Amino acid sequence: MEVVLAARGITKRFPGVLALDRVDLEVPGGEIHAVLGQNGAGKTTLMNVLFGLVQPDEGALFLHGRRVEFRSPHDALTHGIGMVHQTRRLVAAHTVLENIVLGHPRVRGVLSLRDARVEVAALCRRYGVGLDLGARVWQLSEGERQWVEILKALYRGARVLILDEPTSVLTPPEAAALLAGLQAMVRGEGVTALLVTHKLPTVMSACDRVTVLRAGRVVGRLRTAEATEDLLVRYMVGRDVAPGPAGPSGAPGRRVLEVEDLACLGDRGVAALRGVSFALREGEILGIAGVAGNGQEELAQVLAGLRPATAGRVRLDGRDITRLPPVARWALGVGYIPAERTEVASIGAFSLVDNTALTYHFDPAYVRRGLLDDAGLARLTRRIIDGFDVKVPHPYARARQLSGGNLQKMILGRVLSRAPRVLIAHLPTQGLDVEATAFVRAQLREAAAGGAAVVLISEDLDEIVALGDWVAPIYEGRFVAWLGREQADPETVGAMMAGRRREWAAAR
Amino acid sequence: MWELAVRSLEVSAILLLAALGELVGQRSGVLNVGLEGLMLFGGTVAFIATQATGNFPLGFAAALAVGALLGCAHGFFSITLRGDQVVSGMGLWILSFGLTTFLGSPYAGPLGLGRIESPAGLPPFFVLGVLLVAAAWFLLYRTGPGLAIRSVGENPAAAEAAGIPVAAIRYLCVVAGGVLAALAGAAYTLSYNPVWNYNFIMGWGFVSLALVFFSMWNPWILLAGASLFGLMWQLSLSPELVLPGILSRYVWRTLPFAITIPILVVISTPWFRTRWGLAKPEALGQPYAKG
Ligand SMILES: Nc1ncnc2c1ncn2[C@@H]1O[C@H](COP(=O)(O)OP(=O)(O)O)[C@@H](O)[C@H]1O
Ligand SMILES: [Mg+2]
Repeated sequence: MEVVLAARGITKRFPGVLALDRVDLEVPGGEIHAVLGQNGAGKTTLMNVLFGLVQPDEGALFLHGRRVEFRSPHDALTHGIGMVHQTRRLVAAHTVLENIVLGHPRVRGVLSLRDARVEVAALCRRYGVGLDLGARVWQLSEGERQWVEILKALYRGARVLILDEPTSVLTPPEAAALLAGLQAMVRGEGVTALLVTHKLPTVMSACDRVTVLRAGRVVGRLRTAEATEDLLVRYMVGRDVAPGPAGPSGAPGRRVLEVEDLACLGDRGVAALRGVSFALREGEILGIAGVAGNGQEELAQVLAGLRPATAGRVRLDGRDITRLPPVARWALGVGYIPAERTEVASIGAFSLVDNTALTYHFDPAYVRRGLLDDAGLARLTRRIIDGFDVKVPHPYARARQLSGGNLQKMILGRVLSRAPRVLIAHLPTQGLDVEATAFVRAQLREAAAGGAAVVLISEDLDEIVALGDWVAPIYEGRFVAWLGREQADPETVGAMMAGRRREWAAAR
Repeated sequence: MWELAVRSLEVSAILLLAALGELVGQRSGVLNVGLEGLMLFGGTVAFIATQATGNFPLGFAAALAVGALLGCAHGFFSITLRGDQVVSGMGLWILSFGLTTFLGSPYAGPLGLGRIESPAGLPPFFVLGVLLVAAAWFLLYRTGPGLAIRSVGENPAAAEAAGIPVAAIRYLCVVAGGVLAALAGAAYTLSYNPVWNYNFIMGWGFVSLALVFFSMWNPWILLAGASLFGLMWQLSLSPELVLPGILSRYVWRTLPFAITIPILVVISTPWFRTRWGLAKPEALGQPYAKG
């Protein structure tokens, strides 16, 4: 196979980080080539170099064996390289068609959207994509948006398609459809795809070849036919990762959390949660699986006291806490880990000590004569840093200096240091690398073993199935089912998350 | 009555020109709250140049040049240095306020030249304003560069990924906005009221700014809004024309400003936005860092 796109000796330094260290990459044409690596391995940086968004400090790019230089995405696009970014690059307020033609050389002057519409519709038919070209992007599902991005690249005439973590925000069926579509495109149309991911099953099932990055270096280059998942993990992490302990998490005890017919409104004033009931005992983990926007975030907020319930009841150790404010709930033993690590769970400009104080400022043990006991809080912060293996020079470092994994460990440690009776963890491992993920999961399990009832809200099916004593797929504000550990296999739960009902699951 | 209409359209034209430039700038994501300052500067420079040379076109040319320069300055702070756009705009206003007072004081008084002829009895700047509104609408909604401008104001990262030079587009729009604001100021001191005095623009720049929000970034609604405000302003100068003897003219004069506030409050409510669709450029006021 001819090598279509190659990078040789690419080095890129950011202040204080060597993001790419003499990276060589060869992408043969007509294949799906995976770039695998943990968070921070340099995958996105490498792709940005290939697309002209980032200029390398050293190294060169070759297209069909000829040296090329991309000063901007514009250069890459004119050479037939398109990119679907890790974060959506679409204008939400514009229509699908406007987004697709944006930046196309054909729309230099007066917009002739009529011609463009015909061409894009033809493109959709060719790749079997069903999209309403007149719809506004904010109205689309994540899966549809992803296709808009791909069509945009194809319409620009891309023959090499770079996709940075394209399945990370999709439901399992959407992700499967995307990968199938991509494979058809590569086999049928001779497009070459570069697929960045940290998901092993995606690599194994959909890709022909894989290049593994670790800490900015290429550590493996192989055909997937010759690889195994274990081998890839070893390349990615640099050593074996012990799988987390399996099996139920200890003998359940007393009922801790009881929720009856709970309902609430979402931000836009429409019902987000439409009657959810469950009870959890000490030591149990409930895994709530759902695609973002089905009421799970609102459920977490209602339980934490951040959003008023419009109906129903929440009891903690038999006591009705439905109307209690958040601080009163913290004091009674509710712990909450919000999904937005940097926006909600921490304040970037504050030191770790001040961030710790955010959940202790009401605690008499850390208040002296009406003032915060800084020395006590610093000692506590140091204990959390040591106990939860947070890599940080000192407790007065700013929260924004921490990487995602370290920050999450800090947040987790802060909550767990209060020994909560109920722990609500919303997307606790989102965006974390393999090691930090394993650490967080182990801590959740340990919290349960220590007698807490844990409500784990996640979009990661494997996580839900691995940790949950109970699994509740949530769809449009209701639990679709209440499954025991044995009944909850990923296929069933995945289908239920996407709105397939229990009858369907039962019929299988 | 006819004269009142013509006078009020002259006021509308000044508000419209300044607001239209600001609308294009805001569509590209850059807020310039220093509109008032740009108008003061444009008006003062135009007045001085015209009085010194007795030549109107030269006065306008001087205003356009100074507008472009100030637009560049705002662009440099808010696009290149990625500073806070409100701080930069406010700085521009305060600077202009002081400098124009200093520069203009020796020239205080009437221009002392004839009036600019109005062809067909219509105020020329209003005609120009309407033509520019049509042009701006066509540019923004019917051309590729317009799509690029709107995209840059909504989501610069998306625009960049589509190969669009974000900074260049923003600069163009901000400079165009500066030029139009300065032209509006020149229209004031050379045509509407050819007398230089201290702080002659009296808050019209801020009314123009408010009009942009009021228009929900749509040039045609902007035209309607500017016409309405022009009429209200002119009425407030001579209320006896319509409602003789009711309230003092000073109460009338506050009216355009007083009405702006409730309108702005209403259009910023979630109710209004869900009912009429969110029109504010998503990235308005946010500096864009590449990558
Ligand atoms: N613009 C930037 N400025 C400074 N550091 C950066 C920048 N972009 C990435 N990095 C750093 O470079 C490293 C690689 O990041 P990235 O390419 O995003 O990794 P990946 O996509 O594999 O998760 C990380 O340590 C990250 O913090
Ligand atoms: Mg990445």
